[in-house]
Amino acid sequence: MATPVIMPRQGQSVESCIISQWFVKKGDKVKEGDLLFSYETDKAAFEEEAKSEGTVLEIFFKEGDDVPVLTNVCVLGEEGEDYAEFVPEDAATPENNVTGEKADGKADEKAEEYAAVVTPPAGEPEKPVPEGKRFISPRARNLAEKTGVDIRHAKSTGPNNRIIERDIRNLHQQGAMVTQGAKGAYKSLDTPLAGSGLGGRVTTQDLTLPVAVVGNAEEEQPVTAVYQDVKVSNIRKVIARSMHESLSEMAQLTLNASFDATDILNLRRQFKKNADKMDLSNITLNDILIYAVSRVLPMHKAINAHFLGDTMRYFTNVNMGVAVDTDRGLMVPTIMNANLKSLNEISIEAKELARECQKGTINPDKLKDGTFTITNLGALGIESFTPVINPPQTAILGVNTIEQKFREREGIIEAYSSMSLSLTFDHRAVDGAPAARFLKDLREALESFTILLAK
Amino acid sequence: MPRSQFVDPFEIRKKGKITFQDIPVNQYDRSIQEEKASFTTEDFLRIFRDMAIIREFESMMNLIKTTGEYNGIPYHHPGPAHLSIGQEAAAVGQAYLLDKEDFIFGSHRSHGEILAKGLSAIQKLPEEELMKIMKNFREGRILKIVEENRTGGNVKDLAIDFLIYGAMAEIFARETGFQAGLGGSMHAFFTPFGIYPNNAIVGGSGDISVGAALYKKINRKKGIVIANIGDASMGCGPVWEGICLAAMDQYKKLWEGEYRGGLPLIINFFNNHYGMGGQTSGETMGYDMLARVGAGVNPEQMHAERIDGFNPLAVIDAIRRKKKILEEKNGPVLLDTITYRFSGHSPSDASSYRTKEEVDAWMAVDPLLTYRKQLIDSDVTTDSALEDILADARELVTKTLKLSIDDSVSPRMNLSADPQAISRLMFSNQKVEKMEDRECDVLMKKEENLQWQRVQKKVRFGLDENGKPVSKNRVYQFRDGVFEAMIDKFYTDPTLIAYGEENRDWGGAFAVYRGLTEAIPYHRLFNSPISEGAIVGSAVGYGMCGGRAVVELMYADFLGRAGDEVFNQLSKWQAMSAGQIKMPIIVRISVGSKYGAQHSQDWTSIVAHIPGLKVVFPATPYDAKGLMNSALMGTDPVIFFESQRLYDIGEMFHKEGVPKDYYEIPIGEPDIKKQGKDITILTIGATLYRALDSAKILEEKYGLSAEIIDARSIVPFNYEKVLESVKKTGRILLTSDACDRGSHLKDMAQTISELAFDYLDAPPVVVGSKNWITPAHELEDFFFPQPEWIIDAIHEKILPLPGHIAKSNYTAQEMIRTNKLGV
Repeated sequence: MATPVIMPRQGQSVESCIISQWFVKKGDKVKEGDLLFSYETDKAAFEEEAKSEGTVLEIFFKEGDDVPVLTNVCVLGEEGEDYAEFVPEDAATPENNVTGEKADGKADEKAEEYAAVVTPPAGEPEKPVPEGKRFISPRARNLAEKTGVDIRHAKSTGPNNRIIERDIRNLHQQGAMVTQGAKGAYKSLDTPLAGSGLGGRVTTQDLTLPVAVVGNAEEEQPVTAVYQDVKVSNIRKVIARSMHESLSEMAQLTLNASFDATDILNLRRQFKKNADKMDLSNITLNDILIYAVSRVLPMHKAINAHFLGDTMRYFTNVNMGVAVDTDRGLMVPTIMNANLKSLNEISIEAKELARECQKGTINPDKLKDGTFTITNLGALGIESFTPVINPPQTAILGVNTIEQKFREREGIIEAYSSMSLSLTFDHRAVDGAPAARFLKDLREALESFTILLAK
Repeated sequence: MPRSQFVDPFEIRKKGKITFQDIPVNQYDRSIQEEKASFTTEDFLRIFRDMAIIREFESMMNLIKTTGEYNGIPYHHPGPAHLSIGQEAAAVGQAYLLDKEDFIFGSHRSHGEILAKGLSAIQKLPEEELMKIMKNFREGRILKIVEENRTGGNVKDLAIDFLIYGAMAEIFARETGFQAGLGGSMHAFFTPFGIYPNNAIVGGSGDISVGAALYKKINRKKGIVIANIGDASMGCGPVWEGICLAAMDQYKKLWEGEYRGGLPLIINFFNNHYGMGGQTSGETMGYDMLARVGAGVNPEQMHAERIDGFNPLAVIDAIRRKKKILEEKNGPVLLDTITYRFSGHSPSDASSYRTKEEVDAWMAVDPLLTYRKQLIDSDVTTDSALEDILADARELVTKTLKLSIDDSVSPRMNLSADPQAISRLMFSNQKVEKMEDRECDVLMKKEENLQWQRVQKKVRFGLDENGKPVSKNRVYQFRDGVFEAMIDKFYTDPTLIAYGEENRDWGGAFAVYRGLTEAIPYHRLFNSPISEGAIVGSAVGYGMCGGRAVVELMYADFLGRAGDEVFNQLSKWQAMSAGQIKMPIIVRISVGSKYGAQHSQDWTSIVAHIPGLKVVFPATPYDAKGLMNSALMGTDPVIFFESQRLYDIGEMFHKEGVPKDYYEIPIGEPDIKKQGKDITILTIGATLYRALDSAKILEEKYGLSAEIIDARSIVPFNYEKVLESVKKTGRILLTSDACDRGSHLKDMAQTISELAFDYLDAPPVVVGSKNWITPAHELEDFFFPQPEWIIDAIHEKILPLPGHIAKSNYTAQEMIRTNKLGV
């Protein structure tokens, strides 16, 4: 019996997912557990396995398609079976799949996006049309001048085939830019060049180097190629946008302070030794930090808050965002109500969340609602850094590596293990002194962590 | 109230007949000998002197025009010269009894009337007052010139030099003329002597003078008003309209107290028997004698009379008698003053329409010969004394000609040095709360007025706290905004009057003035005859004299009926008078719909084309009150458009609601009604609301955010806000209910193209009505711009919208096709 494979709903807020990659093609035989395709939301990536054995009878969407959740994506069954009833309404026809064209016409496609969105670069760059034979609006021409794009590559979407502003914006995002200096010489070329200048601009130097043709990275890559163009993933785009917004809109600055990590290191050794015996999770230094921060934060409400322009939203409990490094990029799952959870519970949850992120199976709902974030680069030997706040949170704590430091105590110079913390806060929401006080309380809590645990 | 006057079918259907009294024709027959009792020798001689000065002045003009030389002085005058040689006795006789409180209005042929009235005023005014007038006029500039070039004589001689020079320099377009050379031959005047504007439009003074008479009557000013127009102007609609407005029954039947009674107005036809080349009696008219027309106007037959304008004493006699009628509040009067011009219509006139015998016959009875002979025959004076007067006149004109054509003394306006000199005069741009400081005639306290009380109780913002529209009955409407501004001004400016068709009891066809009847007396708010020309024309006269008026044309479609008055009179007099005249006149014009082709046109573009008019078209109650307040505070003519679609609309934009207190919205400032970033939509008038509908579609269906700008004003217009918006969005669409071809929006689109070319992603696109007749209401959606048209035009010409299928045709081919067909 033919069985449709649907696009799973990954969290309540997800309406559609983009198919990242197909691992099978029409006609392939698959067995239970074989990977069928991978897909991603703007927050996470997932893989879909075959849940039964059979032949791939039809694939309704191609890579890059945005598929509403719960829509049939492909059909498995016995060869020759009729699967007509499973063809979704907005599926691409098989013919279109072959040519790679997207059959669309979906009315809900927003023109705003249309006006500025990047049209996927065609497999073959369009033959440049000589300037002077095409019409271009004054605004588009000015934008082209400003951004340095080569209008010969613009795809006209304006009235009377006129190049308008959005066409230049598209082109700009695709590349095909030339520096002012290189423009003259570049115009006489027939083939577009890849640029090595700022933002991918073609420079005068590029014009004198051996030709590198921009093309599909996987096919026909000439031997002379010195780089590879890889399309940026959705997650990367989200990270890029969110980080840039964070830095461009906030007044961020970072305080650094260190504390005596002797107590927590001892404790960590104890935990490690007795984990099995006491049925404890493998409690890490990071878990200890999450615990300490979640206990100190409620006393510093401006740090456990969202800055919303004209209002501050103070949170009673601490939803701790924990930065996780994955192959796909940075992800920040949230430990809800961390201040109400035991160290062991925090440890278990943090590990599970990290694992789901690494695997790409994290429910996007678990990536929301953080009130504060911890990011730990200590394992990578970082001594100090400026973490970037996750808006609209007001601060983020960076955790650094452990160093040996020396201090004088009662006339004796002694070595001790020191750990430093980097607190970035939004000066729009919090002033320096309150931020420093938080850091001070946190250091004290960590230096006498056993007492904190007892509280 | 006309309700007090019962239209009784029994009376009206009764058998009877209309009887007429005799209309006197040339009844004056006294001799000089008999008149010696009324005139001194000096009086007789002064009459001769005034005629001689005018004759010399006009002869000089004639020689300059025809031979390029006068008395050995060469000069070239390319401008007009419609001369009145032969008509001197009529002008001098009329002016003889008038003083500076009596106003005359003239025609294109009025040099003689100006000089006669001026000479008469000089004779009557005390020397100190004369000096004061001359010193104050244009900061003593003309006085300085004539003082520096005088050859002795007293203050009155100096004043005569002043008069002749001011008029002559004006005719020769000198900056030192009465109107700085901006009026010229056909528009010279001097109000301190009671000489009000002449008019190059035949019959132009026919209705303007009625407004001046209204001003005298309503503001209880001394003096009478005389309209001097030609016999041929009897064929002009506005003259007939002026007569109708001047002779309304209500003055004698409905106006109350001291305001009851006829207008102090003489409509005087200087009847020289020709309208250019058309012979009025005998060819182009049918009245036989012009005075006959008076019989048809009212039971008093307008006290019409034909008098002999070739005899100055006959004219003086008539004016004496008619003045008394006016003073007894029995006006208006119609005079048929016969005269004859020896010169042609203008110097290019070959007199092909009349015989030499005819001209010779009239020349044989030339008043300068016959009156002169009578003076000698009656032993009033000697021939040599009269010769001396003629020689003096010649010397005066010669001296003044030299002076007025001397470029070092009498330069022209230097537009190279001061390029803005005329531009500065196009509007007076003053703020004058009241045109006169005295108590306002009203019938009750404003606070006691029922309608005022009703308006105060209304909800001043159109949406309630849930965003739902407030019901029509409770919401403060557009018409309330106009009402509030008007009633406030009625209680502030005593000169303010409002009139038009159905203005009083009905409150205007759209009930904007509803309830004002109870508060404002008849003489300040009244119904007019269906005479759009005279409604606007009389307002022009009212404004010229110093009053403020708001008049109404019920539909924009009726604007054609007031064409000359709006396009030539209302618009031009401030600049033509070099700023001496203010024009605080508002013409309210309603733009209709639903009533078909002759009741639905938006003619804003037509008035926007005319220099000198301010033009506004508010679309919200807040803007209506604020703009009306500004218009009522100003001193410039404002054409105030209102849309019949919007009279009952509530305020949807100004969140605080329409303020109860006084506030102004500056004329010329557009208003952003909705912020947006992807496309700008500029609207004039009622299309604002359709543009908002289209913005909603753009937002919801295509994710585009439109910025909506309501022009509010058309002239003047500050483009800065629009340009700023266009620089942001890169795209603009303009829409109004005016027919697309020649719409003012095209002018705006072109201006925006010039000023923001480099920022534009597409040409500015205009969405107007079709170039058709307006069809019936049920088909109007095919004629007036619709929200979908706006989307279609954007899709077709500015920014193709994904998935959009246009229903209307905005392609280039369609534009070429419709233009080719003229539709």
